[in-house]
Amino acid sequence: DDPQSSAVATLCSDHFEMEPETMETKSLTDYFNKMHRDVMMGMP
Amino acid sequence: MEASCLELALEGERLCKAGDFKGGTAFFEAAVQVGTEDLKTLSAIYSQLGNGYFYLKEYGKALEYHRHDLTLARTIGDRIGEGKASGNLGNTLKVLGRYDEAAVCCQRHLDISQEQGDKVGEARALYNIGNVFHAKGKQQLWGSAQDPGDLPSDVRDTLQRATAFYEMNLSLVKELGDRAAQGRAFGNLGNTHYLLGNFVEAIKFHRERLSIAKEFGDKAAERRAYSNLGNALIFLGQFNAATEYYRKTLQLSRQLKDQVMEAQACYSLGNTYTLLQEYERAIDYHLKHLLIAQELNDRVGEGRACWSLGNAYVSLGNHRQALHYARRHLDISREIGDRNGELTARM
Repeated sequence: DDPQSSAVATLCSDHFEMEPETMETKSLTDYFNKMHRDVMMGMP
Repeated sequence: MEASCLELALEGERLCKAGDFKGGTAFFEAAVQVGTEDLKTLSAIYSQLGNGYFYLKEYGKALEYHRHDLTLARTIGDRIGEGKASGNLGNTLKVLGRYDEAAVCCQRHLDISQEQGDKVGEARALYNIGNVFHAKGKQQLWGSAQDPGDLPSDVRDTLQRATAFYEMNLSLVKELGDRAAQGRAFGNLGNTHYLLGNFVEAIKFHRERLSIAKEFGDKAAERRAYSNLGNALIFLGQFNAATEYYRKTLQLSRQLKDQVMEAQACYSLGNTYTLLQEYERAIDYHLKHLLIAQELNDRVGEGRACWSLGNAYVSLGNHRQALHYARRHLDISREIGDRNGELTARM
């Protein structure tokens, strides 16, 4: 391999960088704030 | 007085939000031990435990808890919760390389979000399905040693499906005015177009990604965009422009104290200067890469650096140094059992 083709091969196989995953969240704080609001408003 | 399940779980949530997933999962595990009769609370605990283990890269445990969450959400008839659990399960299965199962789960998340009129959930499910096909396409490519763009038809088909889902996601997040989600869609669209060999398109999307990263002051995303732009420009033969982006990648990696990415940027710069036939500069960056690889005890990286240094010294006619690095490359290849590296070194 000459250095040029070796460098090309390396850059070809270079990893590209993916954006992060988005995980769904179930927030306890939000859940209890909502429950508290519902109680205050007299909702079941 | 013993802490209640809820108190423990709230502390777990606080720690996870602050990025301490190890501490957070410990509190959630303790909350599960104490137990609760409120199944919605338990579902949230399972979900957050699954996410905590996902970020800790303990995917087996993440899978287990997202499965518990899915079962529970179904039991209590929480459709939105079932959709979220399916999406998380899909993401976890994707990371484990179980793409067909992942696609089923993410599709269920999409179906439920559409059924519930949940546009945010729908957008996220579209992005996740795109991710599944994207990762599957990358895996199909693995080891085929092909240049981006030169693809077998099944790989092309998979990557085109990923692109189609990212485009649907992009259109929806634009409608919702979610700029951060647009940034992610642009970044991954840049990557699928790169793999499909559409380098001009890839650059267009990575520039959009860069612009949103700057808008949010998101330095990690900015660094990713620079690195991806550099990679795409190489294929357009714009080596000087590529070095500019790799330099910015290097600068941000140092700012973010990310040594792995710093090493990667040095390696890319070394190879790009080799393409520009500026061997002295190439050596400079390959030496920087070598030093970091040694610091990180990354023997594979060290071997690659020695191989590249050997080549650059050959080009400069410095055969003594070339032989020195070729020998080091051979020793490392033998040590790590890299048969290909060993054969290349012997040549």
